[in-house]
Amino acid sequence: MLEFLIAQIGQWLGEDIGASLAYISNGKHLAWYASVRYTLIAAVGGATCAVLFGLLGAALKQSSFLPFKWLGDFYTTIVRGVPDVLFILFFPLAFEKGVEYILAYVKCGAENVAATTGWPPCDAAQWYLSTGDYLVMACVSLGIVYGAFAANVIHGAMMAVSRGQLEAASAYGFTPRQVFWRFKVRQMWAYALPGLSNVWMLLLKATSLLSLLQIADIVQWAGRLGAANYFPRVGLVHPDWRWKYYLVLFLFFILMTMISERFFEALQRRASRGMAITGSN
Amino acid sequence: MFESLHQSAFIQDVIIFAKPALFNLYFALASIPAGFPFAVLLALGKASPNKWLALLSRGYIYAFRGSPLFIQFFMCYSIMLAMNQSLWKPWGIDHIVLHPLFLGPFVLVLNTSAYAAELFYGALKTVPKGEVEAAQAYGMSRWNVFRSVTWPHMLRLAWPAYSNEMVFLFHATTLVYFTLPVINEQKDLMNKATDLFERDYNVFLHFGVAALYFLLISILIFWVAGLIQKHLNSHITGDKVRLSFKPRYLR
Repeated sequence: MLEFLIAQIGQWLGEDIGASLAYISNGKHLAWYASVRYTLIAAVGGATCAVLFGLLGAALKQSSFLPFKWLGDFYTTIVRGVPDVLFILFFPLAFEKGVEYILAYVKCGAENVAATTGWPPCDAAQWYLSTGDYLVMACVSLGIVYGAFAANVIHGAMMAVSRGQLEAASAYGFTPRQVFWRFKVRQMWAYALPGLSNVWMLLLKATSLLSLLQIADIVQWAGRLGAANYFPRVGLVHPDWRWKYYLVLFLFFILMTMISERFFEALQRRASRGMAITGSN
Repeated sequence: MFESLHQSAFIQDVIIFAKPALFNLYFALASIPAGFPFAVLLALGKASPNKWLALLSRGYIYAFRGSPLFIQFFMCYSIMLAMNQSLWKPWGIDHIVLHPLFLGPFVLVLNTSAYAAELFYGALKTVPKGEVEAAQAYGMSRWNVFRSVTWPHMLRLAWPAYSNEMVFLFHATTLVYFTLPVINEQKDLMNKATDLFERDYNVFLHFGVAALYFLLISILIFWVAGLIQKHLNSHITGDKVRLSFKPRYLR
């Protein structure tokens, strides 16, 4: 189907365009286009985790029980003080090593672990991670890192919800839990969305780091496809074309940012329906 | 007692990481002197009445804020490599241009100036109109108005956000050696941490010490920026806006 289409277009537009179309739709290139799914899964999964961690962090920061409050403040401060790359590498590695450590004690026996100096003490303790496993861990670590950012945004937004609304709700006889979920959280979104949109942009850009976790994502494919291509029988297919491929990625991420901006504008309009803040109709 | 302290793995790591930390500091410190004026120029360009200049600056800021630094590093490095045969080699400057110690700050400048320009542009928009008009009414030239009214206002308003941006810039230096070639022992904190991790798999110790270095230097940057902030606000009486250690979360 695809070959036929390209042959047709080649007939209309000339050999050169047909040949380059055929080149950019060969198997490797199709694999490159397909690897966009990892970026999108990590972005959406990471954002979901980030909102969950953000709600948790905001709840901790508002807790009247001091140790919880300290924990919340510690979480948001430490994540902000350290680069995201460090955390994105650290959490998967720490989790992997932790699981392998437990596996070693369960499968190899404590004597074996004590006797051997190298790692792993026996083959059963080696945990080979698939791309899917790494993707899940990438989502969680993106969630932890940007959850701290989201926690701050959500915390500020919850403070911005007017007290009168909450007092009126409790005067009507709503329980504290109902007041929290049906009024505070419901109204919070309108205040939180501009900040959350910013966090989403940061998270989207951080998804380019997936290749550091050995996921064959768009960045890694671009490097592979662009590298100078030499076959002994054919000769040099193309010289180092990496800059072309990275330029495409550069434009791809700008496009994603544009789409996200539009999306959040629409969401903001929806969230602030009927609320007396700027930006509502 | 000192003997045992010296042999503890934590202290060992702290000593080992001191030199790599200098590389991160170098990348950040080398980018600020070029990035700051470039950002101011970009902000002025975005606010300029000249349509084409404004469009160009706006496009630049949007592109570099809208794409990951990781990609920008790869892109700039590969473009530099592609221009090697035709430009850098004949001119004999390929050793300098392709060296991470030059290229790292170069890309960081391109990136951070876009973010900082957006901050300065925001500050430029909030400079009180009355003061600019008063200066014009006194017959000041355009340059004088800028120098004595717009510039100090802009700097003072944007400074807290800019100090935050400097910390982000410092954190962004971790990406340099993930994308550019590592030459010999020129390694930064993350390189060293992953190196040591691959030796004994002690992820908590090595990454923890690296994180500690990042945290301490971040606090140091906030502290120095706070001193400058105090200087910028020294003429203001009454409620002074103090720069707190509470970092902002958004870039």
